[in-house]
Amino acid sequence: MNFDIEKFKVHGEPLIYGAMISIALASIGIVVGLTVFKKWGWLWREWLTTVDHKRIGVMYILAALLMLFRGGIDALMMRLQTAAPEMKFLDAQHYNEVFTTHGLIMILFMAMPFIIGLMNVVVPLQIGARDVAFPRLNAVSFWLFFFGAMLLNISFVIGGSPDAGWSAYFPLASLEFSPTVGNNYYSLALQISGIGTLMTGVNFIVTILKMRAPGMKLMRMPMFTWSVLITNVIIVFAFPVLTVALALMMFDRLFGSQFFTMANGGMDMLWANLFWVWGHPEVYIVILPAFGIYSEIIATFSRKNLYGYTSMVASMLIISLLSFVVWAHHFYTMGQGVMVNSFFSISTMAIAVPTGVKIFNWLFTLRKGRISFTTPMLYSLAFIPIFTIGGVTGVMLAMASADYQYHNTMFLVAHFHYVLIPGAVFAVIAGFHYWFPKVFGFRLNERLGKHAFWWIIISFNVAFFPLFILGLMGMTRRMYTYSAETGFGPLNMISFAGALGLAIGFVILVYNIYWSTRYMPRDESGDPWDARTLEWATKSPIPEYNFAVVPNVKSRDPLWAMKYDKQPLFEDKITKIHMPSNTGKPFILGVVFFFLGFFLVFSMWIPAIVAGVGVLIVLAAMSFDRDHGFYIPADKVIKTEKKLGGGTV
Amino acid sequence: MKVDTSKPLEYSTQENSNRIFGFWVFLGAEIALFATLFTVFFVLVNRFAEGPSGSELFEVGPLLAETFLLLTSSFTIGLAVHAMRHQYKRAMLVFFGITLLMGLGFLGIEISEFVTYVHEGATLQTSGFLSSLFVLLGTHGAHVTFGFLWGAAIMIQLMREGINPATANKSFIFSLYWHFLDVVWIFIFSFVYLKGLM
Amino acid sequence: MMKQLFPIRHVIGYIASLVLSAAALAVIYGDFSHAANIVILSVTALIQASLQLFLFMHIGESADTKKELYINLAYALFVGLVTIFGTLYIFVWGWYS
Repeated sequence: MNFDIEKFKVHGEPLIYGAMISIALASIGIVVGLTVFKKWGWLWREWLTTVDHKRIGVMYILAALLMLFRGGIDALMMRLQTAAPEMKFLDAQHYNEVFTTHGLIMILFMAMPFIIGLMNVVVPLQIGARDVAFPRLNAVSFWLFFFGAMLLNISFVIGGSPDAGWSAYFPLASLEFSPTVGNNYYSLALQISGIGTLMTGVNFIVTILKMRAPGMKLMRMPMFTWSVLITNVIIVFAFPVLTVALALMMFDRLFGSQFFTMANGGMDMLWANLFWVWGHPEVYIVILPAFGIYSEIIATFSRKNLYGYTSMVASMLIISLLSFVVWAHHFYTMGQGVMVNSFFSISTMAIAVPTGVKIFNWLFTLRKGRISFTTPMLYSLAFIPIFTIGGVTGVMLAMASADYQYHNTMFLVAHFHYVLIPGAVFAVIAGFHYWFPKVFGFRLNERLGKHAFWWIIISFNVAFFPLFILGLMGMTRRMYTYSAETGFGPLNMISFAGALGLAIGFVILVYNIYWSTRYMPRDESGDPWDARTLEWATKSPIPEYNFAVVPNVKSRDPLWAMKYDKQPLFEDKITKIHMPSNTGKPFILGVVFFFLGFFLVFSMWIPAIVAGVGVLIVLAAMSFDRDHGFYIPADKVIKTEKKLGGGTV
Repeated sequence: MKVDTSKPLEYSTQENSNRIFGFWVFLGAEIALFATLFTVFFVLVNRFAEGPSGSELFEVGPLLAETFLLLTSSFTIGLAVHAMRHQYKRAMLVFFGITLLMGLGFLGIEISEFVTYVHEGATLQTSGFLSSLFVLLGTHGAHVTFGFLWGAAIMIQLMREGINPATANKSFIFSLYWHFLDVVWIFIFSFVYLKGLM
Repeated sequence: MMKQLFPIRHVIGYIASLVLSAAALAVIYGDFSHAANIVILSVTALIQASLQLFLFMHIGESADTKKELYINLAYALFVGLVTIFGTLYIFVWGWYS
């Protein structure tokens, strides 16, 4: 092993030194804070070792919010660098790193964990379960995700970030053309968090299929739960492809194999192919749950049941299958024949049909509804037209021959931001506002929420609509600067202004969390929105056992039926409740995986082997564990229920 | 914990039957994983660069020995589960042990094959074909290795605790895993080796 | 005792898998066309995989998850086959030339 401190250093850039200092200060701040306030034990007992799906969900969402700001700062830097011709804010290398990590973080470490966080909080409640099927595995999933994300984030200050785009196409991402450790981080950080995601997929499929309350038939499940079920099916079958692709990338970069090389019989295009075999289903992994969130919110605030329930489910099932047969539309220009492009062109356009069905179902749900314009509802209403623009430009891009013109231009960038921001970001923000009172027992302030909404919605269009035009003018994506003669300057400046507006919107959103925590009154009802589904039938904040009595479901909107049709929901007596006990092993496993990844990034073989053995030891310790959990006695449950007050039991 | 006595021990609690179902779902993911590795292999199978081709490299003798060992071990782990359902602890442990030893034998042959390949100048770095061959076989071999360690851990628990809902459940899930590795091997046997030798 | 330790279904399945493996060797020792060889390999491999699945893994034994297991398997095969044949379609059969 040749130990070379130079490999770890990142040079130049005052920005990087700034990042180093801020990371160091933040870490010291956290450590000092925890010590001064004597919170280490609390942190360990209540959070790091928890197996409670609600707490795990909250941690996912916290991590996602942090990553939203990290990715958002990347975005601001990019927009600033391109705001005017010949800007000198970032150099080319730094710009490459920034757009790469922006994409990676926003998709994999912001959108994904935000959605997984919401499903953790909501799904067991919506199906009337006490927890997920495998609570400990759930903790493993979270810590693998978390430490994968941390591994990617330290790349910026130790050794250098990945810089070959979030799709890391070969041969650019090969050792020959990207000699820094950046793409080693890419392969290992994504691998570790990807394993966590795969485990989440297994966990939620079993949870939804096997843990539903009595009477909750499949076709009585809330639409969000349906969307999560289908999403997790896609996760389980798409993520292994990424696992393989990343492993091969690691072999190419660390062990000199010839998968994606240009010589010796490798095939660089195979990477693009594998990446998108996973990558296209991934798009639906982040968008389908969003469809579920909107379905809940639109039904609740229209005070109607969801229009076209069966066709909603059917269209998601069709999308889940179609999402696996469209991937080549990401590389129409790579050299495959006319028939191939025609096939993928048609299959891509076909996806617009079930998506259109969903749009019309939402519109029909709104029709003649008594609509209340709350913050989550505003996001949902804004989603429909904006997402439709994204969808229609998607059909434009789907036409293979036309795509030769649009390919890799800003038009594409505009398109996928018009799909992913309303389709994922607005949805998780809407879901965040909607379910916040359930988790914390008070609502977010509506006035601040609406301020943030208008800033975000208007600035979004200001930031991204000009990119459509820039793309048609010929500006390609990922160019770090341009000359004044191109005429790209003014529209890019407008886009930068939009990006600033978005930043203001998100700052207001976070300020709202702070303000509401201090001043908002406690919600005693447990059902502040007069909603329809089971999660609102228990107390807020949710007691650790979720439901004192397991509900008996008799219809599609059980809470609504209980409130307005006097249909009894909780018929049994309170008895003792079985709970899983906390464990520190998932956290330790995450830490060990982090070191394994780190040592592999720097080709430090002996420490890597030690860490690998460490992984096996932790797994063995988990296998030998015999913990059967514990019971909460009935009188303690009754006491908790009384203390939380209100509610319906 | 509620124990349902009408079902086999390994399914007897809700948690146990969830685990079995969850593991089947995981095996679905494993199918996608190996399908991807086969995809890579089929795309690169004729890209030999300066290195040898499959027909120059593969030998029938060790191949048949590996196949025989894995098929037999899949049979014996099936017998172990059968014995477990009849509460024959000794017989179960014997079959379980034979399974793991055969897995070890398989690994021994596979490793010696790899060593031979490397001595003949066929390494991971030689060609696209060889990279995909080594990684496809290596992933299967790594699964067998992990299976050996995992199975050994379960055997220790069986010896300590006997056949109870927890150990029965683990053993059953392990048997699913082991049979699955046999299925993967059948496809490697047919579409990597035999097709290469054709 | 022997009958209980060696159930007939398992023994038949085991012998069948050995026979099928031997039969697959026809592709190297026999004298068939390339297409016929591929058919032989596919058929023997598929039967063997089914033997494992139905006789050894008891995929159909648990009534309350039977349907889900078959759907799961079908989905996995769909994704796996689409990945394999879709990729070959892109890079081999459908490549622009």
